[in-house]
Amino acid sequence: MGVFLQTLFVGLRLGSVYALIALGYTMVYGIIRLINFAHGDFIMVGGYTLFFTVPLMVAAGLPAWTAVVIAVIVCALVGIGVELIAYRPVRKKGTNMTALITAIAMSLLLENLAQAIPAIGPNPKIAGTFFSTGGFQIAGVTLDYVTIYTIVISAVVMLLLYVFTQKTKIGRAMRCVSEDKGAAILMGISVNRTVLITFAIGSGLAAVAALMYIAQYPSIYTTLGSLLGLKAFVAAVVGGIGIVPGAMLGGIVIGLVESFSMAYISSSLTDTFVFLILILVLLVKPAGILGKNVGEKV
Amino acid sequence: MKKVLAILLALCMVFALAACGETGGESEEPASSDGGSASSGGDTIKIGMIGPKTGQNAAYGSSMEEGLTMTIDQINEAGGILGLQVELISMDDRGDPNEAQNAFNSLISQGVSLIIGSATSGATSALTSLANEEGVVLISPSATADSITTEDDYVFRACFKDTLQGSIAAAYVESLGITRVGTIACSADTYSQGLVDAFTVACDERGIEVVAEESTATMNAQDFTNQFTAMASADVDLVYAIYYYDAVGPFLVTQARAAGYDGIIMGADGYDGSLDYVSEGVDYSAFNDVVYTNHYDASDTSPVVQEYVTSYQELYGTTPLCFAALASDCMMMLQMAIETAGSTDAASVRDALADTSVTYEGVTGTFNLDETGTPVKGAAVIEFVYDESVGGLDGLGTQLVTTISSDEIA
Amino acid sequence: MKKAVKRGYIVNTVVLAAVYALCVVLAAALEGNDNFKLTIVPSIWQCCYLIILAASLNLVLGFMGQLSLGHCGFMAIGAYTAALMSLAFQRAGVYDEKSGAVFILIMIACAICAGLLAAVFGVLLGIPALRLKGDYLAIITMGFGLIIVNVINNLPFAGQNGLAEGTAAASLYATGLGFGSTAKVTYLWFAIAVTILCVALMFMYIRSKYGRAVRAIRDDEIAASASGINTGYYKVLTFAFSAFFAGIAGAVYACCNSSLSTSSFSFTNGSILNSTFVVVMVVLGGMGSLTGSVVSAVIMFFLNYQIGNGSWVHSLPGFIQSIFAYPMLVYALVLIVIIMFRPKGIFGTYEFSLLRTPGELVRLLKRHGGGKKAAGGKEAAAQ
Repeated sequence: MGVFLQTLFVGLRLGSVYALIALGYTMVYGIIRLINFAHGDFIMVGGYTLFFTVPLMVAAGLPAWTAVVIAVIVCALVGIGVELIAYRPVRKKGTNMTALITAIAMSLLLENLAQAIPAIGPNPKIAGTFFSTGGFQIAGVTLDYVTIYTIVISAVVMLLLYVFTQKTKIGRAMRCVSEDKGAAILMGISVNRTVLITFAIGSGLAAVAALMYIAQYPSIYTTLGSLLGLKAFVAAVVGGIGIVPGAMLGGIVIGLVESFSMAYISSSLTDTFVFLILILVLLVKPAGILGKNVGEKV
Repeated sequence: MKKVLAILLALCMVFALAACGETGGESEEPASSDGGSASSGGDTIKIGMIGPKTGQNAAYGSSMEEGLTMTIDQINEAGGILGLQVELISMDDRGDPNEAQNAFNSLISQGVSLIIGSATSGATSALTSLANEEGVVLISPSATADSITTEDDYVFRACFKDTLQGSIAAAYVESLGITRVGTIACSADTYSQGLVDAFTVACDERGIEVVAEESTATMNAQDFTNQFTAMASADVDLVYAIYYYDAVGPFLVTQARAAGYDGIIMGADGYDGSLDYVSEGVDYSAFNDVVYTNHYDASDTSPVVQEYVTSYQELYGTTPLCFAALASDCMMMLQMAIETAGSTDAASVRDALADTSVTYEGVTGTFNLDETGTPVKGAAVIEFVYDESVGGLDGLGTQLVTTISSDEIA
Repeated sequence: MKKAVKRGYIVNTVVLAAVYALCVVLAAALEGNDNFKLTIVPSIWQCCYLIILAASLNLVLGFMGQLSLGHCGFMAIGAYTAALMSLAFQRAGVYDEKSGAVFILIMIACAICAGLLAAVFGVLLGIPALRLKGDYLAIITMGFGLIIVNVINNLPFAGQNGLAEGTAAASLYATGLGFGSTAKVTYLWFAIAVTILCVALMFMYIRSKYGRAVRAIRDDEIAASASGINTGYYKVLTFAFSAFFAGIAGAVYACCNSSLSTSSFSFTNGSILNSTFVVVMVVLGGMGSLTGSVVSAVIMFFLNYQIGNGSWVHSLPGFIQSIFAYPMLVYALVLIVIIMFRPKGIFGTYEFSLLRTPGELVRLLKRHGGGKKAAGGKEAAAQ
């Protein structure tokens, strides 16, 4: 029982981090049909921003986690910059494939640029703790506060995002653009502006994810986002890409699969199980768990 | 037009950042540029270095380069070897066996016949057969896989081999009177899995029971909770978990305690430097009962170690990782061998190194090489201690538990 | 039409044979040269497997229009198959010197088995995965690549302990196929022959009715299936065909390296041999141009080699050198610039042809008046 609960908690806390990151992927993919490989690196940018701004915040007498505001702003700016400098020109001229290659190139660029900056360098940086340590005791197993915060925050963020996309004007514009770009233009929606806003929000979410991730795993390094990003993307696909609740569900599913396969099957083959789940889900339901299958028009 | 502007902006950004980086990079230059100017005046001894300076393991390669640069500068200031200045030509293998081979070939075509490298067993194993074929001396600072060095070859190293360090660990476990142990390794990493395998074999011989075996998929694993939960429920008294400082400091130890495991955690030389990677604000007392075997103890009071650590800190502002110390020892071994041989010819330097009666006094201990070219040295068993009266990160420190000489294991 | 095809085959076979003979003669002439042995031959070996790999991915990516992000997974299967097989033969005492007819036969057998096993996995993955398209397929193949690496790491006979004897010997196999510098010179003909053969086979494939069907699927799958093309069959066939050559590339890789580690076949790593960079090579060269893949594989290799090992790098101004210390940074910039200015890649869908290209070159030169005539590449080209 103890082992089961522990495994469940680990799964939930991994899953809610994946979910937060998957949200960013889902939003960007939904609107421009691009796997934004650089998204994982936005988390890295967020992580380093947090690392460097936390001391400033503490010096100013604020709690450490307030640094996330700056991180969100920095990440949003980086996201907008990447969209303006790289993605938009390529999208105008090239195909889906060239856009994807650009995304890969941006990811390479961000990772290696970070390493070339002397203040960052090759060695990992270790962040301090953001939240109070400790936690509840349930059936002899500790559920620490960080896990609870992570789950609650990602649930709240998801809820806000859902309301935002459903109720606000910009949110409706976003859904409209992802549904049909041509029609959106006819309705007087500025596609470029909408895409920019999506990038800003998606990247900002990466900063929040960075906070949650680093609170749990306090090491920051330049390739922090690559595998994390891949798994989060898998989560987004499993849940149904382009769908906000899908990202949450997918994240939790992937987190649980990872944790349970680690505890009960083989701890070194977890990645295999994560991707097997992906393959299975896609084969049974090609649009993801919550996705709708849309027939192709002839 | 806009596009051109965008690219120009991007390029400017990169160049600006790289220019910032230049000041950092410049400090590594002097050694080679000194050598360059000296070479115009006469002969220099060219020493090649191959290590991962970028990529995932960049920290190992840069430590190696820093340690080597410092040692070579010191040698040059003291008049060089055989009256010749030493020039370091350092190559980046990015942790990849292919790049390591390319770097190796290009060093040879530059006329280098004494090479220090590479950091990991994977990259080094790609070089060993080439080194023998070309007749080039290769000394690896930190490739621990047993198969790296063999008899009658050109390959040597400055570190333990896995079986030796594994048996030392088992000997220590036996001396504690512990009979139930567990292991955690990364199945994809030669260092981690190799050590754990050696440890398991040595435990069997000593009648220690390995009751639980867990693993992770990568060395950069970040969550060890499930593994340690399994350890706790298997009721072991000691866990042999082989990871590097960047996983041990921030994740492994704290998660182990949070998962309810409160026995001893034992590691190997990769734990060296973990305390620089502890997150501020965690429960520091978790680090009690963590021990590891190491080549040397940075807090050792012996003058060689102290001198090394101080001058390294003066130059680079950090405590040397074991990669730096081991690379410096490689250089010291080369220096002694060249002086004994009286020439820089690879074959005679090799013969000098192959002499098992020579005793090397390095930063990482005093040792002789065995027939295969691997040091036979004892290990220091070091533990992390948390001094509550000091408190905070400063309260964490290391303490020498015991030293185990290589005779004790045989 | 028939006559032209026949003429094409004859011309190409003759030229290929001539190119091959030239390479072998050159190799024999330069055998004693140190620089040749240490720099040029290893470079050619590395170019060879990169060329096969990139061209084989182009079948799927360029001609079938399906993105595969796990192509190095097939290469890993090929490399480990060839390595373990040859090692098994050696342990069994079939050969002990890396020379003689027996060894050459074993080498060829290993390469073919490597390709076949990779192709089997290609079919196994292709049947379910090719029901999906675009980004979904990309993600599934990427997952496949990661699974392969993960599984090989955990295979008791391949990953850690290998076939090597003794404890803790790690994933290093020191013998088997792995060639040292001298053996690489001796067997240079093997690498070149395999490369020429593979590229020629791929060329013939895309020029055949299969190739036309596959391109029809790329351009419009629904229209293709409406005109009676069994899309599922052709897709899986092409996927397996592509995997076969990736497996052979793996076998060449196993010959070229004395040790294998799975990090060389992962999704990204510090070098240019990984699933990401193969896609990059194909896109840079031009999706749908085998010529492009061959050229861009060579260019990528050359760039990578020179940045890492070129002596001219040291004569550059300091700040450029400090950028070159981060090769991946350079590639990222080069990639972005090329994608922006030439999104369809260097060659687009253009194919080099011995029959047409000289004529086209002459016309091009006439139009522009003067200019140096580009030296003809040694790429294979069926008419």
